[in-house]
Amino acid sequence: MTDGAELDPVIHAQARLRVVSALSVLREEDKVTFPRLQDSLRMTAGNLSVHLRKLEDAGYVEVTKTHQGRTPATFVRLTRRGRLAFEQYQDTLQALLNPSHPTAPPATHKRTEGSPSLEETP
Amino acid sequence: MEPIDDDEPLGSPADSLALIARERANLVRDIAPDPRLMYWPWGIAWLLGFGLLFLRFGPDGRVFVDLPAWLPLTLLSLSFIAAGAVTGAVGARSAMQTRGPSSRQGLMYGLTWGIAFFGMSLLFAQFGNAMPDDQLSLLWAGGLVALTGALHMAGGVIWNDRQLFILGAWTSVINMAGVLAGPGWHSLIVAIAGGGGMLLFGLLGWLKRR
Repeated sequence: MTDGAELDPVIHAQARLRVVSALSVLREEDKVTFPRLQDSLRMTAGNLSVHLRKLEDAGYVEVTKTHQGRTPATFVRLTRRGRLAFEQYQDTLQALLNPSHPTAPPATHKRTEGSPSLEETP
Repeated sequence: MEPIDDDEPLGSPADSLALIARERANLVRDIAPDPRLMYWPWGIAWLLGFGLLFLRFGPDGRVFVDLPAWLPLTLLSLSFIAAGAVTGAVGARSAMQTRGPSSRQGLMYGLTWGIAFFGMSLLFAQFGNAMPDDQLSLLWAGGLVALTGALHMAGGVIWNDRQLFILGAWTSVINMAGVLAGPGWHSLIVAIAGGGGMLLFGLLGWLKRR
Protein backbone atom coordinates (compact mmCIF):
# COMPACT_ATOMS: atom_id res chain seq x y z
CA MET A 1 0.00 0.00 0.00
CA THR A 2 1.76 3.10 -1.21
CA ASP A 3 -1.26 5.42 -1.19
CA GLY A 4 0.25 7.43 1.65
CA ALA A 5 2.96 8.71 -0.66
CA GLU A 6 0.58 9.99 -3.32
CA LEU A 7 0.22 13.73 -3.43
CA ASP A 8 -3.19 15.30 -4.00
CA PRO A 9 -3.17 16.40 -7.67
CA VAL A 10 -5.45 19.37 -6.95
CA ILE A 11 -2.96 20.92 -4.53
CA HIS A 12 0.11 19.51 -6.24
CA ALA A 13 0.58 22.53 -8.48
CA GLN A 14 2.65 25.36 -7.17
CA ALA A 15 0.05 28.08 -7.61
CA ARG A 16 -2.74 26.13 -5.92
CA LEU A 17 -0.47 24.98 -3.11
CA ARG A 18 0.32 28.65 -2.47
CA VAL A 19 -3.38 29.58 -2.44
CA VAL A 20 -4.31 26.79 -0.05
CA SER A 21 -1.30 27.50 2.22
CA ALA A 22 -2.26 31.15 2.57
CA LEU A 23 -5.92 30.32 3.24
CA SER A 24 -4.93 27.74 5.88
CA VAL A 25 -3.87 30.62 8.13
CA LEU A 26 -7.49 31.71 8.54
CA ARG A 27 -9.58 30.12 11.24
CA GLU A 28 -12.47 27.95 10.16
CA GLU A 29 -15.41 30.11 8.98
CA ASP A 30 -13.13 33.15 8.47
CA LYS A 31 -12.88 34.49 4.91
CA VAL A 32 -10.46 36.90 3.28
CA THR A 33 -11.20 39.42 0.53
CA PHE A 34 -10.12 38.47 -2.98
CA PRO A 35 -7.90 41.57 -3.47
CA ARG A 36 -6.07 40.98 -0.17
CA LEU A 37 -5.42 37.34 -1.07
CA GLN A 38 -4.31 38.31 -4.57
CA ASP A 39 -1.96 40.93 -3.17
CA SER A 40 -0.49 38.55 -0.62
CA LEU A 41 0.10 35.84 -3.25
CA ARG A 42 1.42 38.32 -5.84
CA MET A 43 -0.78 36.76 -8.57
CA THR A 44 -2.83 38.43 -11.27
CA ALA A 45 -6.59 38.50 -10.71
CA GLY A 46 -7.14 36.29 -13.75
CA ASN A 47 -4.59 33.73 -12.65
CA LEU A 48 -5.95 33.58 -9.11
CA SER A 49 -9.52 33.21 -10.43
CA VAL A 50 -8.52 30.25 -12.59
CA HIS A 51 -6.92 28.44 -9.67
CA LEU A 52 -9.74 29.30 -7.29
CA ARG A 53 -12.22 27.81 -9.73
CA LYS A 54 -10.28 24.54 -9.78
CA LEU A 55 -10.10 24.49 -6.01
CA GLU A 56 -13.80 25.32 -5.82
CA ASP A 57 -14.62 22.46 -8.21
CA ALA A 58 -12.76 20.11 -5.87
CA GLY A 59 -14.75 21.47 -2.93
CA TYR A 60 -11.60 22.83 -1.27
CA VAL A 61 -12.48 26.52 -1.20
CA GLU A 62 -15.68 28.51 -1.02
CA VAL A 63 -15.97 31.78 -2.94
CA THR A 64 -18.70 34.18 -1.78
CA LYS A 65 -19.73 37.24 -3.77
CA THR A 66 -21.47 39.92 -1.73
CA HIS A 67 -21.70 43.70 -1.51
CA GLN A 68 -19.97 46.10 0.85
CA GLY A 69 -22.30 49.05 0.51
CA ARG A 70 -22.51 49.44 -3.27
CA THR A 71 -19.20 47.93 -4.25
CA PRO A 72 -19.17 44.21 -4.94
CA ALA A 73 -16.86 42.22 -2.68
CA THR A 74 -15.60 38.68 -3.08
CA PHE A 75 -14.52 36.59 -0.09
CA VAL A 76 -12.60 33.34 -0.11
CA ARG A 77 -12.30 30.67 2.56
CA LEU A 78 -10.89 27.17 2.88
CA THR A 79 -13.59 24.53 3.39
CA ARG A 80 -13.23 21.76 5.95
CA ARG A 81 -12.51 19.40 3.08
CA GLY A 82 -9.81 21.72 1.76
CA ARG A 83 -8.25 21.97 5.20
CA LEU A 84 -8.16 18.19 5.55
CA ALA A 85 -6.63 17.79 2.10
CA PHE A 86 -4.01 20.41 2.94
CA GLU A 87 -3.12 18.73 6.23
CA GLN A 88 -2.83 15.38 4.52
CA TYR A 89 -0.66 16.92 1.81
CA GLN A 90 1.66 18.34 4.46
CA ASP A 91 1.82 14.99 6.24
CA THR A 92 2.76 13.29 2.99
CA LEU A 93 5.51 15.82 2.37
CA GLN A 94 6.83 15.24 5.88
CA ALA A 95 6.75 11.51 5.31
CA LEU A 96 8.67 11.82 2.05
CA LEU A 97 11.22 14.01 3.72
CA ASN A 98 11.64 11.81 6.74
CA PRO A 99 10.76 8.17 5.98
CA SER A 100 11.01 7.16 9.65
CA HIS A 101 8.04 9.43 10.38
CA PRO A 102 5.06 7.38 11.66
CA THR A 103 2.87 8.35 8.70
CA ALA A 104 5.54 7.39 6.18
CA PRO A 105 4.80 4.64 3.68
CA PRO A 106 6.62 1.40 4.48
CA ALA A 107 10.17 1.86 3.24
CA THR A 108 10.89 -1.47 1.64
CA HIS A 109 13.73 -0.29 -0.57
CA LYS A 110 16.51 2.10 0.06
CA ARG A 111 15.92 5.15 -2.14
CA THR A 112 18.48 5.43 -4.87
CA GLU A 113 18.19 9.16 -5.53
CA GLY A 114 19.64 11.60 -3.05
CA SER A 115 16.25 13.05 -2.16
CA PRO A 116 12.80 11.82 -3.12
CA SER A 117 11.46 13.57 -6.17
CA LEU A 118 7.97 14.95 -6.58
CA GLU A 119 8.18 15.20 -10.33
CA GLU A 120 5.41 12.67 -11.01
CA THR A 121 2.96 15.06 -12.62
CA PRO A 122 -0.69 14.29 -11.94
CA MET B 1 -4.11 23.02 -19.55
CA GLU B 2 -3.21 26.71 -19.45
CA PRO B 3 0.30 27.93 -20.08
CA ILE B 4 1.06 29.13 -16.56
CA ASP B 5 4.45 28.02 -15.41
CA ASP B 6 3.54 28.20 -11.72
CA ASP B 7 1.08 25.40 -12.45
CA GLU B 8 4.09 23.10 -12.27
CA PRO B 9 4.73 21.06 -9.14
CA LEU B 10 7.77 21.80 -7.03
CA GLY B 11 11.00 19.87 -7.07
CA SER B 12 11.33 18.50 -3.55
CA PRO B 13 9.27 18.07 -0.38
CA ALA B 14 11.58 20.48 1.42
CA ASP B 15 10.90 23.18 -1.21
CA SER B 16 7.17 22.59 -0.89
CA LEU B 17 7.25 22.86 2.90
CA ALA B 18 9.29 26.05 2.66
CA LEU B 19 6.77 27.48 0.19
CA ILE B 20 3.88 26.60 2.53
CA ALA B 21 5.59 28.32 5.47
CA ARG B 22 6.36 31.39 3.35
CA GLU B 23 2.81 31.86 2.07
CA ARG B 24 1.34 31.35 5.54
CA ALA B 25 3.66 33.96 7.02
CA ASN B 26 2.85 36.36 4.16
CA LEU B 27 -0.90 36.25 4.72
CA VAL B 28 -0.56 36.59 8.49
CA ARG B 29 1.59 39.67 7.96
CA ASP B 30 -0.87 41.07 5.42
CA ILE B 31 -4.04 40.73 7.46
CA ALA B 32 -2.88 41.16 11.07
CA PRO B 33 -2.30 44.76 12.15
CA ASP B 34 1.36 45.79 12.49
CA PRO B 35 2.21 45.51 16.21
CA ARG B 36 4.30 48.67 15.97
CA LEU B 37 1.26 50.68 14.83
CA MET B 38 -0.91 49.13 17.54
CA TYR B 39 1.41 49.61 20.55
CA TRP B 40 3.97 52.31 19.81
CA PRO B 41 1.43 55.19 19.72
CA TRP B 42 0.35 54.18 23.23
CA GLY B 43 3.89 53.67 24.44
CA ILE B 44 4.87 57.13 23.19
CA ALA B 45 1.69 58.70 24.61
CA TRP B 46 2.38 57.24 28.07
CA LEU B 47 6.08 58.05 28.04
CA LEU B 48 5.47 61.63 26.93
CA GLY B 49 2.22 62.38 28.78
CA PHE B 50 3.04 60.79 32.14
CA GLY B 51 6.66 61.93 31.86
CA LEU B 52 5.60 65.59 31.59
CA LEU B 53 3.08 65.07 34.37
CA PHE B 54 5.87 63.82 36.63
CA LEU B 55 8.16 66.73 35.74
CA ARG B 56 5.45 69.29 36.50
CA PHE B 57 3.68 67.55 39.40
CA GLY B 58 6.40 65.58 41.17
CA PRO B 59 6.17 63.74 44.49
CA ASP B 60 5.27 65.95 47.51
CA GLY B 61 4.41 68.90 45.29
CA ARG B 62 7.89 69.19 43.79
CA VAL B 63 8.19 70.92 40.41
CA PHE B 64 11.14 69.65 38.36
CA VAL B 65 10.34 71.65 35.22
CA ASP B 66 8.17 74.73 35.55
CA LEU B 67 5.75 74.05 32.70
CA PRO B 68 2.36 75.79 32.57
CA ALA B 69 0.04 73.77 34.86
CA TRP B 70 -2.44 73.02 32.05
CA LEU B 71 0.16 71.68 29.63
CA PRO B 72 0.89 68.12 30.89
CA LEU B 73 -2.75 67.01 31.23
CA THR B 74 -3.71 68.62 27.92
CA LEU B 75 -0.84 66.87 26.16
CA LEU B 76 -1.69 63.60 27.89
CA SER B 77 -5.32 63.79 26.72
CA LEU B 78 -4.35 64.78 23.17
CA SER B 79 -1.77 62.02 22.84
CA PHE B 80 -4.31 59.49 24.14
CA ILE B 81 -6.85 60.66 21.55
CA ALA B 82 -4.21 60.49 18.80
CA ALA B 83 -3.09 57.01 19.87
CA GLY B 84 -6.72 55.84 20.02
CA ALA B 85 -7.37 57.20 16.52
CA VAL B 86 -4.28 55.51 15.05
CA THR B 87 -4.93 52.10 16.64
CA GLY B 88 -8.66 52.32 15.85
CA ALA B 89 -7.97 53.07 12.17
CA VAL B 90 -5.27 50.40 11.85
CA GLY B 91 -7.46 47.82 13.59
CA ALA B 92 -10.49 48.67 11.47
CA ARG B 93 -8.49 48.49 8.24
CA SER B 94 -7.21 45.09 9.24
CA ALA B 95 -10.71 43.89 10.17
CA MET B 96 -12.00 44.91 6.72
CA GLN B 97 -9.67 42.39 5.03
CA THR B 98 -11.52 39.45 6.49
CA ARG B 99 -15.01 38.51 7.49
CA GLY B 100 -16.16 35.93 9.99
CA PRO B 101 -15.81 35.12 13.68
CA SER B 102 -12.30 36.60 14.01
CA SER B 103 -13.18 40.01 12.60
CA ARG B 104 -16.34 40.06 14.75
CA GLN B 105 -14.20 39.34 17.80
CA GLY B 106 -11.83 42.14 16.83
CA LEU B 107 -14.69 44.59 16.42
CA MET B 108 -16.20 43.68 19.80
CA TYR B 109 -12.81 43.98 21.47
CA GLY B 110 -12.28 47.43 19.94
CA LEU B 111 -15.72 48.57 21.06
CA THR B 112 -15.01 47.24 24.56
CA TRP B 113 -12.02 49.58 24.86
CA GLY B 114 -14.00 52.59 23.70
CA ILE B 115 -17.06 51.96 25.87
CA ALA B 116 -15.09 51.01 28.99
CA PHE B 117 -12.84 54.09 28.76
CA PHE B 118 -15.79 56.37 28.18
CA GLY B 119 -17.70 54.90 31.11
CA MET B 120 -14.81 55.20 33.53
CA SER B 121 -13.98 58.76 32.44
CA LEU B 122 -17.61 59.73 32.92
CA LEU B 123 -17.48 58.40 36.46
CA PHE B 124 -14.22 60.16 37.37
CA ALA B 125 -15.46 63.43 35.86
CA GLN B 126 -18.10 63.54 38.61
CA PHE B 127 -15.38 64.00 41.27
CA GLY B 128 -13.78 67.16 39.87
CA ASN B 129 -14.32 69.17 43.05
CA ALA B 130 -14.38 66.39 45.61
CA MET B 131 -10.65 66.02 46.32
CA PRO B 132 -7.28 67.77 46.06
CA ASP B 133 -5.76 67.96 42.58
CA ASP B 134 -2.94 65.49 43.18
CA GLN B 135 -5.36 62.85 44.47
CA LEU B 136 -7.75 63.52 41.63
CA SER B 137 -5.04 63.01 39.03
CA LEU B 138 -3.99 59.79 40.77
CA LEU B 139 -7.61 58.61 40.60
CA TRP B 140 -7.79 59.32 36.87
CA ALA B 141 -4.39 57.94 35.96
CA GLY B 142 -4.57 54.93 38.28
CA GLY B 143 -8.09 54.03 37.12
CA LEU B 144 -7.38 54.28 33.41
CA VAL B 145 -4.07 52.41 33.64
CA ALA B 146 -5.79 49.66 35.66
CA LEU B 147 -8.43 49.41 32.94
CA THR B 148 -5.75 49.22 30.23
CA GLY B 149 -4.01 46.40 32.10
CA ALA B 150 -7.28 44.49 32.55
CA LEU B 151 -8.24 44.83 28.88
CA HIS B 152 -4.81 43.65 27.71
CA MET B 153 -5.09 40.62 30.00
CA ALA B 154 -8.57 39.97 28.59
CA GLY B 155 -7.10 40.22 25.07
CA GLY B 156 -4.52 37.62 26.06
CA VAL B 157 -7.35 35.35 27.23
CA ILE B 158 -9.44 35.87 24.07
CA TRP B 159 -6.64 35.14 21.60
CA ASN B 160 -4.72 32.77 23.83
CA ASP B 161 -1.80 35.20 23.52
CA ARG B 162 0.61 34.77 26.41
CA GLN B 163 2.66 37.86 25.55
CA LEU B 164 -0.38 40.11 25.54
CA PHE B 165 -1.49 38.66 28.86
CA ILE B 166 1.96 39.34 30.33
CA LEU B 167 1.82 42.94 29.06
CA GLY B 168 -1.54 43.38 30.82
CA ALA B 169 -0.35 41.79 34.06
CA TRP B 170 2.84 43.88 33.99
CA THR B 171 0.84 47.07 33.44
CA SER B 172 -1.49 46.15 36.33
CA VAL B 173 1.36 45.40 38.73
CA ILE B 174 3.35 48.56 38.02
CA ASN B 175 0.11 50.53 38.35
CA MET B 176 -0.44 49.10 41.82
CA ALA B 177 3.14 49.94 42.77
CA GLY B 178 2.61 53.51 41.52
CA VAL B 179 -0.71 53.92 43.33
CA LEU B 180 0.90 52.81 46.59
CA ALA B 181 3.93 55.05 46.04
CA GLY B 182 1.53 57.97 45.65
CA PRO B 183 0.96 60.98 43.35
CA GLY B 184 4.03 61.99 41.36
CA TRP B 185 5.74 58.62 41.68
CA HIS B 186 2.80 57.03 39.91
CA SER B 187 3.40 59.22 36.85
CA LEU B 188 7.11 58.34 36.76
CA ILE B 189 6.53 54.60 37.13
CA VAL B 190 3.76 54.50 34.52
CA ALA B 191 5.74 56.64 32.06
CA ILE B 192 8.87 54.49 32.17
CA ALA B 193 7.71 50.97 33.06
CA GLY B 194 4.26 51.21 31.42
CA GLY B 195 5.15 53.22 28.30
CA GLY B 196 8.43 51.34 27.95
CA GLY B 197 6.58 48.04 28.31
CA MET B 198 4.31 48.88 25.39
CA LEU B 199 7.20 50.04 23.20
CA LEU B 200 9.02 46.79 23.93
CA PHE B 201 5.87 44.75 23.31
CA GLY B 202 5.35 46.37 19.88
CA LEU B 203 9.00 45.75 19.01
CA LEU B 204 8.91 42.08 20.06
CA GLY B 205 5.69 41.50 18.13
CA TRP B 206 7.19 43.06 15.04
CA LEU B 207 10.44 41.08 15.29
CA LYS B 208 8.53 37.83 15.78
CA ARG B 209 6.60 38.16 12.53
CA ARG B 210 9.32 39.58 10.34
